[in-house]
Amino acid sequence: MEYETVIGLEVHVELLTESKLFCSCPNRFAADPNVNTCPGCLGFPGILPQLNGAAVKKALTAALALNCEIALYSYFDRKNYFYPDLSKGYQISQFHVPIGSNGYLDSEDDQGQLKRVRIGRVHMEEDAGKLVHSPAGDTSLVDYNRAGVPLIEVVTEPDLRSSGEARRYLEKLKSILQYARVSDCKMEEGSLRCDANISLRPAGSNTLGSKTELKNMNSFKAVEKSLEHEIKRQRVILKSGKEVISQTLRWEENSQETIVMRGKLQAHDYRCFVDPELAPIQLTAEEVEEARQNLPEMAEERAARFVKAYNLPEYDAAILTVSRSLADYFEACMADYDNPKTAGNWIMGELTAKLNSAGIEADCCSFTPLFMTELLKMIDEGLISGKLAKEILDQSFTGGKSPRQIVKEENLTQISDHGELEKIIRQMIEDHPDSVENYRGGKTKALGFLVGQVMKETKGKANPQLVNELLLKALK
Amino acid sequence: MDSTTISAGRLADQVNKGELKARELIEKVLQNAEEQDSRLNIFCSTAGEVALDQASAVDKKIEAGICLPLAGVPFTIKDDFIYKALPTTLGSLMFKSFYPPYNAAAVEKLIAAGAVVVGKTNIDNMGVGATTLDSPQGPTLNPREPGRIAGSAGAAALAAGICSLALESDSGGALRQGASHCGVFGFLPSAGLVSRHGLALHSGSFCRVGLSAAYPEDLPVALNVISGYDPRDPATAACREVKARREKLDDLSNIAVGYLETLPGLASGLHRNLYQDTLDKIAALGVKKVEVRLTHLSEALRAYQVIAAAEASSTLLRYDGIRYGEAIEADNLEMLYCKTRKATFNGEALNRSIFGTYFLSKGGYDRYYRQALKVWTLVRLELEAAFDQCDLLLLPAVRTEPLPVSGEPDFIDLYEDNLYTVPASMTGNPALCLPAGELGGAPVGVQLVGRLFEDAFLLSAAVKIAPALASAQQELDGGGN
Repeated sequence: MEYETVIGLEVHVELLTESKLFCSCPNRFAADPNVNTCPGCLGFPGILPQLNGAAVKKALTAALALNCEIALYSYFDRKNYFYPDLSKGYQISQFHVPIGSNGYLDSEDDQGQLKRVRIGRVHMEEDAGKLVHSPAGDTSLVDYNRAGVPLIEVVTEPDLRSSGEARRYLEKLKSILQYARVSDCKMEEGSLRCDANISLRPAGSNTLGSKTELKNMNSFKAVEKSLEHEIKRQRVILKSGKEVISQTLRWEENSQETIVMRGKLQAHDYRCFVDPELAPIQLTAEEVEEARQNLPEMAEERAARFVKAYNLPEYDAAILTVSRSLADYFEACMADYDNPKTAGNWIMGELTAKLNSAGIEADCCSFTPLFMTELLKMIDEGLISGKLAKEILDQSFTGGKSPRQIVKEENLTQISDHGELEKIIRQMIEDHPDSVENYRGGKTKALGFLVGQVMKETKGKANPQLVNELLLKALK
Repeated sequence: MDSTTISAGRLADQVNKGELKARELIEKVLQNAEEQDSRLNIFCSTAGEVALDQASAVDKKIEAGICLPLAGVPFTIKDDFIYKALPTTLGSLMFKSFYPPYNAAAVEKLIAAGAVVVGKTNIDNMGVGATTLDSPQGPTLNPREPGRIAGSAGAAALAAGICSLALESDSGGALRQGASHCGVFGFLPSAGLVSRHGLALHSGSFCRVGLSAAYPEDLPVALNVISGYDPRDPATAACREVKARREKLDDLSNIAVGYLETLPGLASGLHRNLYQDTLDKIAALGVKKVEVRLTHLSEALRAYQVIAAAEASSTLLRYDGIRYGEAIEADNLEMLYCKTRKATFNGEALNRSIFGTYFLSKGGYDRYYRQALKVWTLVRLELEAAFDQCDLLLLPAVRTEPLPVSGEPDFIDLYEDNLYTVPASMTGNPALCLPAGELGGAPVGVQLVGRLFEDAFLLSAAVKIAPALASAQQELDGGGN
């Protein structure tokens, strides 16, 4: 029997705000534990939650960017459970009425066709702290720096049909939320986290099969891999005539397999009810409309603008706008450099390769747009060759020194001095009379040999175009 | 008793004029507090040096020519308010040395106005209850009838002449019933009028900050000090948005008091008679009587219990011993939670944790919690309709005499005691319990409920009505000067 895969994703995204959701503690990473805490986010008695309006605005922007209907009246509930990282014994979350619902996101299916993924809900909630286990495993400590950080949870309908679709959905979601300036969406740093619900059903069936929930995937690649793993596992079970047990599984990155976290019988009853300490969130139609009008430019719009404003090919524009940080990088270069095509090529080629292998985004790379334009200008000025430029980029990317500084310190400047080159050329002509004879006799190949000799003599620093030019002149 | 039994207004006046030194006053107050405490079991902790330092600071300000509305006025703090100089025990042995590093908004404002902390008063475990029978140090005795409970230790402190004001909390009626039992004035301001920052509440919907006083004239002054918007309690935004229909009272003959013709649940005909007498006395002052009907009293009580239990079951989850308080060591996390929480809770706080968990569970939510929310709406609508006909509503405060201290009451019976205090708790209206007489040797009060945010109006009416109600009863503290 053929089976159809059914996947739904729940994505948690940290919102980019100055402070936490219900207190004024800073919402930023801290290396030391429990420095970004106060009695409020530590769950002390007598401290009431004060809603951060900026977080509501970000959540509203996210919901609009994901084409959601906006609830003008929504409120916060409490989700009750015991765990040491949960300081109040409950998580404040929007359970009954989310701020956004019935949205969608347009992505691609495995055949490259448009795939509209329905988004059931976008709701606000607070993050929990985290446990730090001692290496010996005998004690656990709690770090509440993250407790109370504002999150949105974006929940899809079970619309995804393959691990590839899931990955593309995540990439698109990340792009949208980054463009909307809602979150930096760094999965490796935990500012984007994804859980997946997955089931298989006989092709053509309309009823959902029994599902499992996958947790603990730390990268888009891990999401794709774990889903593939789980699809295979479920298919084997179904083919053998058995039933898939509904349970929560944990992806183990090291062994590339899933382990059971908890079964269905251990499922929590979170006893969600409206938080009596918080007023409902009331938005006006005007506020929502204003937020809609002020939605930042998204990838497609930006690509179209790049084509128009910078005369870039559509292909280049699409690649340069894949992430907001890359597009910002390109535009920052354009402030100081006037050949968009060249800059684009370098960013799409060399820079992207370096970013990918370092696993970072363009906004946190030490090879700044200023360095990039410096490098491109040195090529244009004929100071360095393209080949050398790649090496310099490499060095600057890891070492953090500016390209000009590297060129200066290592004396890498290309030789473009006519007098100096003519001297070497004369010497080469003297040293290789046969080649000169051959060239004059019509064997144009001999010219290449002579250029090569000049390059060798200058250790590759001679401007190759100029060598060509001067050699031709000298051989006349 | 000495000068500490006179009104806050008169004390502040003397201190402001330099006729009385706050420090000398407070020295006497502390001495009296100690004597009374050994007899009545009022305090969890007394302020001692802290109080004397505060009093000296007040004296310095007065010498510098600064006038303070509550200069030198001694007040007590119920132990569910946080005041960093004294432990916040929350009525649990697991918090006997708990010092949260901040002050409750109301405490801060009272101190800034010149009032001086005498000590923190006894509470039921987690502040849940109206008897102090669930306190680890045992119940506070009624100064007027020591064989019975005071209900509220703050009210007992007032009745014992220890202080002029008591900072109290009230969710279902603790403050008002305690005031009734002790023969003092217990005032629950409108919801949203006083910041709850620093109050260890167990129900966000119902817990409010209140004040009790020996003299009704002191309540408007003290309310003025502690009320107003505070960003740390978002609910106080309401006091800026909602405008009172009536601010000041000019003449009692211009107002109408609503009353109930049938009074279900009262313990005896005597309570009924007291209510009737009180109504007649108020009418004799020229106040118009209007019969109103509250048909949902019984359902309101049950809805209140469901919602209050649900909220307590969630709000009290934070007391797990991990971040503060004490934890009992165990082999694993689950046992740590079990042991620690078992040692932390008892009595009604424990009941509510268990019942509330059920009311919110998959099986209980629709059957109990959702239904209770609907009843809550009906109660609001009914009380609103009542206030279309009247300016004030006269209700009993208690349905029976204060319990004997040796009693081990059934908790279900205790729930019934909230029958007439719960409506104002649910609707957010201001309510004042004022002394109305005595039954079985103990004082009994009645409640006047006002319209939302008409606190000033309610209090000024009460100031005019109180002397008429006191005419038949003996003086509160034997003449008081």
